Amino acid sequence: MTRRLTRRELGALVGGAAMTRVAGSSTEAVALPKKGVVCTAPLSAGADDRVEPGAADAAMAAVLMGATGSTDGAGAVRLLFSPRDVVGIKLNCLGGRRLSPRPVVVTALVDLLVAGGVARDRIILFERSSRELERAGFPIRREGSGPRCYGTDNNYDRKPQVSGSIGSCFARLVSETCTALISFGVVKDHDLAGVSAGLKNWYGVIHNPNKYHDHQCDPYVADVVRHPLIREKLRLTVLDGVTAQCHGGPAYRASGVFPLAALAASIDPVAVDLWAWKVIDAERRRRGLETLEEAGRPPRFIATAARYGLGVGDPADLVEVGVQG
Amino acid sequence: MSLDRRRFTALLASGAITAVSSRPASAGRTLRVGQVVNGEELPVREASWYKKLEEGRIECQLCPQACTVADAERGTCGARENRGGTYFTLVHSLACSIHADPIEKKPFFHVMPGELAFSYATAGCNVECKFCQNWEISQFRPEQVQSIYLPPEALVEAAKRAGARLTAATYSEPVIFWEYVRDAARAAKKAGLAPTVVSNGFIKEAPLREVLPLLRAVKVDLKSFRDEFYRDQLRGRLEPVLKTLEIIRGADVWLEIVVLLIPTLNDSEREIRDLSKWVKSNLGPDVPIHFTRFHPTYRLTGLPPTPVAILERSWKIARAEGLNYVYLGNLPTHPAENTTCPGCGEVLIRRLGFKILENRLEQGSCPACDRTIPGVWR
Repeated sequence: MTRRLTRRELGALVGGAAMTRVAGSSTEAVALPKKGVVCTAPLSAGADDRVEPGAADAAMAAVLMGATGSTDGAGAVRLLFSPRDVVGIKLNCLGGRRLSPRPVVVTALVDLLVAGGVARDRIILFERSSRELERAGFPIRREGSGPRCYGTDNNYDRKPQVSGSIGSCFARLVSETCTALISFGVVKDHDLAGVSAGLKNWYGVIHNPNKYHDHQCDPYVADVVRHPLIREKLRLTVLDGVTAQCHGGPAYRASGVFPLAALAASIDPVAVDLWAWKVIDAERRRRGLETLEEAGRPPRFIATAARYGLGVGDPADLVEVGVQG
Repeated sequence: MSLDRRRFTALLASGAITAVSSRPASAGRTLRVGQVVNGEELPVREASWYKKLEEGRIECQLCPQACTVADAERGTCGARENRGGTYFTLVHSLACSIHADPIEKKPFFHVMPGELAFSYATAGCNVECKFCQNWEISQFRPEQVQSIYLPPEALVEAAKRAGARLTAATYSEPVIFWEYVRDAARAAKKAGLAPTVVSNGFIKEAPLREVLPLLRAVKVDLKSFRDEFYRDQLRGRLEPVLKTLEIIRGADVWLEIVVLLIPTLNDSEREIRDLSKWVKSNLGPDVPIHFTRFHPTYRLTGLPPTPVAILERSWKIARAEGLNYVYLGNLPTHPAENTTCPGCGEVLIRRLGFKILENRLEQGSCPACDRTIPGVWR
């Protein structure tokens, strides 16, 4: 069962817990919540389908504070990242402009990272290919003082790495370049996996994801994320839920789209997928569709990821914290 | 084995391939023969074997994986993509590796000994063998390797200029570029070449039967005789491969079988005996079978090369079960590379690796006892 907490309640929740510092500066108060906390804030598009930058900034700061228990956005960043980090933000741009993280929302995260001490040129927005990024509205930038933005573009390690049932070459951007990672996905239905949100986004950093789509991508998604190259670097998952899709994914399908009008963040990569599953199923029920379980494609990899110790996979342990941006 | 551009360039320089004509590769795209295709700039053609489903999804009907593929997604082969409810092959005429090999390298030991087979492959595969020797092309998607545009007519032209009398779809997995195999085989046959295929045999019956009449010979890798091995080691299944073998054997196409023996995984006496019995009773005693030596690679690096004693034991078992033409591979200088008359024991073809040292066959028969030795000898 999901509990909704206010930020004050969250403060109480995290205050008494044993906290783990991830990468912050030595002067920052340590206050990271337990696993299972997903923080959401309202964020919607106007009639012209545009999100106001100010609204995106506020929502981003709010969800990061909620996700980390920090009292300000920059402080939240300092809890998760060091100025020495090279922070890779893996975007999911398969859905093109209509169903990918919106540039304005991603910019809000970049600005917050900078406010928290990460230099702009140590931030890399990336996807599987540069073309996908461009199609989703992210101009390619490989140099200069701003954040980098480019595709892995088939630049993989030469040797495959085995992780559980998968054997894959990882993008060198992940294995060599970045010291910290953020999964920045969307909330959408997936024809085979069930849900494509934060965890499955990491299929975009291996050379052979097409091999691992049977059995609802289970245990393969979890096997990718539990590899040390991801597991030891992954600090945060953010989901742009301004527009979500409950049916017909992973590509954009107008009939499946709905205005979830939310931004979500968590330091628990499993719990945030559990939340995505929950909201997708809620919309499917509202429309009279079968739930993903009933449709025969529950995202089994979520439970597997939880068994691997990557986060909380039991709905009873999911703590959804709703905050205002 | 990545794109053999060096070899391709050498072939171009030698005149084996003439990069002259421009041909439409797909709607809106024109490529020159020999043009290098990079990244995602892939020409596409509609696939031949698939079924449209509701809501823009498709079901691939090429291989037993029978992938159901949503819009913007690919099948497990990585070489076919659903674009708005239409399924496309991304690899037709896009060769990522070409070379004129001795036919013995495929290996075919009963097909035109000593001749060259113009061999070609595209990226992708419909299974994932943990022991794949060619994983650098078979386990990658087409945009992840460099390829050249080599349409069927140009491929045949290149084969003829290279002095090859055969073509061979090989290296990765021809099933995933089956439309290219079909069209290249048709062009090769028309030009008087012998089209061959080297495959895992993991294909559905309809596309197999459609292309078989165009082929002269097929070599199938029988990876194991246990379904468990197929599921664990390559994410495939045994039964469809056995069916493929029977269909090929029943057609007017020469068949040879290769079994890569991997220590502890598929080399038990019982498995080899069961396999040999099945081959004899279902395909007959005259289908050549090659037991080849495993070398550690890809995801299977923790096992040693196959001991020679295991290979020799397997050879003895197969012979004892009544198979007439049993060979050992990846063991240069071993006498089991030779073709011996099952009637009188005369050595008919002596080989050293892929080289023919002596061929004593006389019009396909043993010169000592006149027994007919089955094969495609001319």
